[in-house]
Amino acid sequence: MFASFRLSFAWLHTWFGLVLGFVLMVAFFFGSLAVFDREIDRWALPQTRIEAQPMPSFDKILASRFATITEPDPEEIEAASKRVTKPLPDKLTPAHFGAYTTHRDPVLGMYVGFDVPNSTLPDDHAYGEITIDPRDGHVLPRDRLALGSAFFYPMHFSLHITWYDIGYWIVALAAMAMLAAIVSGVVMHRKIFREFFTFRPGKKLLRSTLDLHNLTGVVALPFHFLWSLSGLIIFAGIYFPVLDKMMQPLVEAHEREEATHTGLDTHPSGKPGTLASVDAMVTAARERWASRGVPGEVGFLFVNHVGNSNASVSIYRDSTDRVATAEGLHFEGATGRVIFEDPPTGPIETVNGFLSGMHLQQFKHWTLRWLIFFGGLLSSVCIATGFIFFVEKRKHAHAREGHPGSRWVDALAVTTVTGMVVATLFVLVMNRALPEDLAHRDTWEKTSFWIAWLLTFVHAAWRSGAVLQARMSKAWAEQCWVIAVSGALAVVLNAATTGDHLGRTLAAAYWPVAGVDLTLLVSAFIAVIVARRLQQHASHPSPATASLEEPEHA
Amino acid sequence: MATVSYSSWHVFSRICAGILGSYVFTWGLIALGASSLIAAGTEFHEATSLVSMLGFLVFLCTFCWAFVAASVVRVWAVLAGGGALMTLSGWWISRALA
Repeated sequence: MFASFRLSFAWLHTWFGLVLGFVLMVAFFFGSLAVFDREIDRWALPQTRIEAQPMPSFDKILASRFATITEPDPEEIEAASKRVTKPLPDKLTPAHFGAYTTHRDPVLGMYVGFDVPNSTLPDDHAYGEITIDPRDGHVLPRDRLALGSAFFYPMHFSLHITWYDIGYWIVALAAMAMLAAIVSGVVMHRKIFREFFTFRPGKKLLRSTLDLHNLTGVVALPFHFLWSLSGLIIFAGIYFPVLDKMMQPLVEAHEREEATHTGLDTHPSGKPGTLASVDAMVTAARERWASRGVPGEVGFLFVNHVGNSNASVSIYRDSTDRVATAEGLHFEGATGRVIFEDPPTGPIETVNGFLSGMHLQQFKHWTLRWLIFFGGLLSSVCIATGFIFFVEKRKHAHAREGHPGSRWVDALAVTTVTGMVVATLFVLVMNRALPEDLAHRDTWEKTSFWIAWLLTFVHAAWRSGAVLQARMSKAWAEQCWVIAVSGALAVVLNAATTGDHLGRTLAAAYWPVAGVDLTLLVSAFIAVIVARRLQQHASHPSPATASLEEPEHA
Repeated sequence: MATVSYSSWHVFSRICAGILGSYVFTWGLIALGASSLIAAGTEFHEATSLVSMLGFLVFLCTFCWAFVAASVVRVWAVLAGGGALMTLSGWWISRALA
């Protein structure tokens, strides 16, 4: 588009990086938090602060719990009613049961998939979900928010914009922009190895910001690339539903062919049938794993065609010891006979499974888990320094011309860097401050998050007037102080409302809560240092312009 | 910056080609790739996994290309035209297979 290849890439890097960078901050920051989603859940749901539990007995506990799920969740019914050509019947038929857990879950997620008749989608289902305490099977209240797994985790790939799944598409476009920013960033910088070791914090802000942007970019380059790519690959079926949309006959022909050698029917028989003891099937699966010397708990249990004579039960080994690949054993429901065992996957499916498994991290490896967490934070730093560089580079010229561009970029940068942390800490504070028996507590918590985030934007926009005069917005430092105070406050409130202060959780080595508390304190401490540095900087501003060795950058 | 000045319409066209053109092209590549691989005897899931993973890398390449190519008309012709052509041939092969 421009006179040279490099200039075109610089344009691409700057503008796509800027516009979609705000989305990328959300994806990478909340993605980092999602690495510890189960631990954040324990912090936010004190009644679930117990050790991780194995899959409970199906015959004694799960069967009766599944029977209590008689219809899909209201929002699922509402969504399904938009996909059908005739109105939904009052009573939907359950098609399958599922229960899933991991080595980090003290609670068990359960769902029932109901057939959606007259749907425009093939094989369409609407779901009813519950969470239970696996020790005794009691159902946990629905209006308590699992902050990690039900709020931060879906935020990082859907932004909680559910209208036509538009959030997924925005995040996908942002992930694609991230990949393009990595490619164009490498093209723009020929001295890539030198950048590994170059950070000059004492230099002018513009230079040190660019150093840090390049350093975080290249140090974690494989992480940035692979996590963006694998995030896209996980949802490939949503982004490119090519087979579902235009090759349905081919898909159905394949399913029929597959059913002939797996023995697993694709459709219910329509004749009533009963289930043999599922516990006996679990025991058989465990014996098979033990005989192979592989560790094994049940990670996922699935009953297909429930109530039909051709019902089947699928038992999957959990993924503690490997990155990917489902290992399922399938039983005939009526007799408990093994019908089929998943064969080892082919090379391409293995690569696909590895990329998804690496991103989803169901394996048990705490060092790697922390590295992935810091990888996500490095991506966030890389994107944030990109914003700061954009503003620092232009603000003097914009101030002279009275151009509001850098002002608004700065306001949005504050909102998606410090503001996002403020909103996150605020929802943790509200989680502990709201009355325990408040009705619709989850809605209150979510609303408080969005309001806090909106307020950080209003604050940032108000303070960004300074950028118009080429000065630094005070919002950065002020929001750092809010982070420091609310981080510490969350730790205090957790101790006050649950009694699980650090003395107790550390002594008991209860890492889910101790880890969250310690991370909050470290964050508060860092925020104090940053706020003080920023305020010192504001009282001794650096000289106006700086010359750069790479004038074509950005 | 030594830039040639382009109209905002031109820039908009590049952006649309980069995003929408690449989408159509990738869609076609997945359709044609999956059906041809299956026709050639590749296992169904292996074939579909391969093309859907490759699809994102192809999208990345065509997206970048849309901004560096000399002619935006050529970009549109290759991405939209090629995408439509591959989609049609992929669909035709899949019908022949099913």
